Amino acid sequence: MFDAFPYDSWLTTDGALNEEIAEFWTFGGGGSTGTWILTILGFAAMLIAFWGFVILENRKLTHQADRLKASGALDRPTAG
Amino acid sequence: MISSLLPSWLAQIPSVEEVDAKVALDSAILAETFYFWTVVVMWLIHVGFMAYEGGAARRKNVMSTAMKNILTIAVVTPTFYYFGWYIYGCFQEGWPKSGHASPDAFEGFCGASAPWSSAMGPNLQDHITGVFFLAFLLFSWTTGSIMSGAVIERIRLSAYLILTALLGSVVWIMDAAWGWSSGGWLVTNFGFHDAIASLVVHGVAGAFAFGVLLNLGPRIGKYTADGMARSFRGHNTHLTLMGLLLIFTGFYGFYAACLVIQSTAFPGWLNIYLSPTTLGAIAWVITIGFAGGFTGGWFASKGDPFWTLSGGLAGVIAVSAGADVYHPSLAYLLSISGGMVAVWSGTYIEKKLRVDDAVGAVAVHGVCGFYGVFLVGVFAGGYPTGINNIESSMGGQLMGMMAFLPLAFLPAYGVSWILKRMNLLRVPAEVELEGLDMAEFGMDFYPEFERVPEVIVEPDGREVEAAPVLLDAYWQANGKSATPVGTGERS
Repeated sequence: MFDAFPYDSWLTTDGALNEEIAEFWTFGGGGSTGTWILTILGFAAMLIAFWGFVILENRKLTHQADRLKASGALDRPTAG
Repeated sequence: MISSLLPSWLAQIPSVEEVDAKVALDSAILAETFYFWTVVVMWLIHVGFMAYEGGAARRKNVMSTAMKNILTIAVVTPTFYYFGWYIYGCFQEGWPKSGHASPDAFEGFCGASAPWSSAMGPNLQDHITGVFFLAFLLFSWTTGSIMSGAVIERIRLSAYLILTALLGSVVWIMDAAWGWSSGGWLVTNFGFHDAIASLVVHGVAGAFAFGVLLNLGPRIGKYTADGMARSFRGHNTHLTLMGLLLIFTGFYGFYAACLVIQSTAFPGWLNIYLSPTTLGAIAWVITIGFAGGFTGGWFASKGDPFWTLSGGLAGVIAVSAGADVYHPSLAYLLSISGGMVAVWSGTYIEKKLRVDDAVGAVAVHGVCGFYGVFLVGVFAGGYPTGINNIESSMGGQLMGMMAFLPLAFLPAYGVSWILKRMNLLRVPAEVELEGLDMAEFGMDFYPEFERVPEVIVEPDGREVEAAPVLLDAYWQANGKSATPVGTGERS
């Protein structure tokens, strides 16, 4: 069914791998503008995730601690 | 007829250069496949750590404990991709003195390890970087998981994630650059020898965990008013022991991934310093190391199940540094001592130093990790290490220990101190008493099982109901007077 293996078109005339094809990922190869932009976006997403872990957990813990204190369940029983 | 076909046959015979290129490609793909499967096996380490710690946690903290192990992957993976691997590539000589052309031993590795480089994505001309990166990443997860068990049941998930990213993507990989690479300054100058990462993974993670524990403090009720240690009952010891066995299984992948293989580039198997060894040599040592460690742990703990299995881990860690050169009988003897050292040091840390390490990680990984590289100085001195053929020696081993102890301890202590000052290190006391799972997830994770009263073991061995003890400790910590405790003694 195939009249040509796609790999053939990835070669230069001397049979070596075409450099642009060798680095075949999205939005350009190593050091390209596309790769820089993706790197920066990924790094930013990582930092935002850290921020989110801290903020969201703090909100949950504070809410639960306040609820427990308000319930009186952890108060020391008074004498009598 | 034949004479007419001969020219076309001859034309089809590949040239020597073409055969070389094919063999080199096959060799590279074989190495790629090998490292890929070591990573698959190493996943079991993390399955094991999750089971181990989840079983050691009380029922009220089981999911929050497991979530730490899961999210270790979520934070260490991107941080290691964006800067951890770059640190390994650039800091082998102490700093990148030739910029992206560093280090001298592996020219250009610094530049190739940058996240925007051509090696750090799909590349038809590079079969190795991706899987080698992945193997190191799994080591990074392991360092985080080692700390993870020590701090369970009171650390904030977010604080743990910040600390584990620091450990997995900065601290351990910096020490790997210095002392676990062919161009590391400790290796090329001092012959530092830690073949299968006794110190660079385990010891450093244990020292890091110790620094965090000093700021984190013990779990509420862990110590009596006069400083005697109580014991908490883990909710599922069977799960803990199964987790340890899964960790042991994963260790075979870990051990294998510590070697270098690519037949067209190197003559057979090499250790990380590019000194020759064999896969069989390290397989012998790891297996007999478990045997010796179990034995030492069993005798030192008088048959305690937790310490018997932890002794196995400690035994292997104690012989990992010299696993490429030890005779199996030597490894057996040394691993017995490693299992014993873990039990004794774990008891000392808990009862004398009063540091609440929930799973004995500082003793098993930290103490035995340092012990392992010390043993190389004693029993493998004179063995040439690395590309400069510097002989390993006690001086070189001590140099590594002196470099790595502050490298691990100080960042851990400093960052956990800052988090503590910001009130972001530890969960509120009320949440700790109720259990972290209710605050984090709003549910109990064994809904079909009756909830029996939690128990705690007093220093004299009595098993009592935990609630009065924990409440009393809570009231004391909040400046309220103590009430009599221990009234809930079980018959």
